[in-house]
Amino acid sequence: MRTFYSHRKLAEDVYIEIAGLEYEDFAVGQIFEHRPGRTFTAEDNRLHALRAADLSARSVDAVFNEKVYGGDQVISETLVLGVVTALTTKTFNKVVANLGWRQVRFPTPVRVGDTIYAESEVLGKRDSESRPTQGILHIRTRAVNQRGEEVCSFERHLLIYKRGLGPYDAAGY
Amino acid sequence: MAEFAFASHVPVGENRYRERYGLDFEDFAVGQLFKHRPGLTISQQDNVEAALDTLNQAMLHFDAHYAAQTEWKRPLVVSTLTLQRLIGLTWKTFHKRIRILGWADISMTRPVFGGDTLYAESEIKAKYDDGDPSCGRLTVVTRGINQDGVVVCSMEYDVLVYKRDAVPFAQANY
Repeated sequence: MRTFYSHRKLAEDVYIEIAGLEYEDFAVGQIFEHRPGRTFTAEDNRLHALRAADLSARSVDAVFNEKVYGGDQVISETLVLGVVTALTTKTFNKVVANLGWRQVRFPTPVRVGDTIYAESEVLGKRDSESRPTQGILHIRTRAVNQRGEEVCSFERHLLIYKRGLGPYDAAGY
Repeated sequence: MAEFAFASHVPVGENRYRERYGLDFEDFAVGQLFKHRPGLTISQQDNVEAALDTLNQAMLHFDAHYAAQTEWKRPLVVSTLTLQRLIGLTWKTFHKRIRILGWADISMTRPVFGGDTLYAESEIKAKYDDGDPSCGRLTVVTRGINQDGVVVCSMEYDVLVYKRDAVPFAQANY
């Protein structure tokens, strides 16, 4: 087991917080349990739709939602995907950019009031050929609700800075 | 001469028209391409809020000084925010969507920054009717195109869409 650090010592009794692991820290087979979890509200769902210029009756008209969808307050799949991805950002904070997702699945719907927790497994890593300061991680993330039912899973490729080669010194991190 | 397709309103009485949203499953066919309007401009404030609302800790999105040191020189828009806006922009055509079953692929092909304007377009790649009287399944590719005509995101996903008259849209006064 490796030790990862949350702070770097700047001087005696002076510590600066570290944001995320570096490319070199990752190894195939590692599993990271992300915290915190996140609870979904009906308001999350409504605002999420409206901010996308989506005026679908389902999220803004409760009578329509009751009659057509049985009043089921299912959280939008795109919001679930965004939140699950966001929950991974403490560990994968040194991201340069996401390259893409594959096999995004939602085995169980997320409903209003549910709380989800995510974990990620490192499936692969390789140096970027075109970007010598960066590597590409291949990860699988799964999220479960408070009952342990899997609500979302996907594979993702992302670029991560290598040790000492990111913009962290320049930015005061 | 312009050619038109699909009714925007349903007649519900003498000189009375009700706005209609979304095509029925029967209206869709493989090969159709829908250009969604309006577009939507994403601001850096949208980006900050999307990151913080979802507990996204990657400061690439909300620390402009940090972002200025990266190759992007400014905050990068949260990938899933781009995706969410694009799917949202498809609502007029896909209002009768029951749910998204999953994405086979999501590719972020170019970076998106605050101030960029996104337009969505969707292509129907496959159509499956498994005999369910209420709905059928479509495979859709939705692309996000910015103000310069560059594709910033392309994704393929499956959706369930209601069939005509299979659901109580009329009963709900829609």
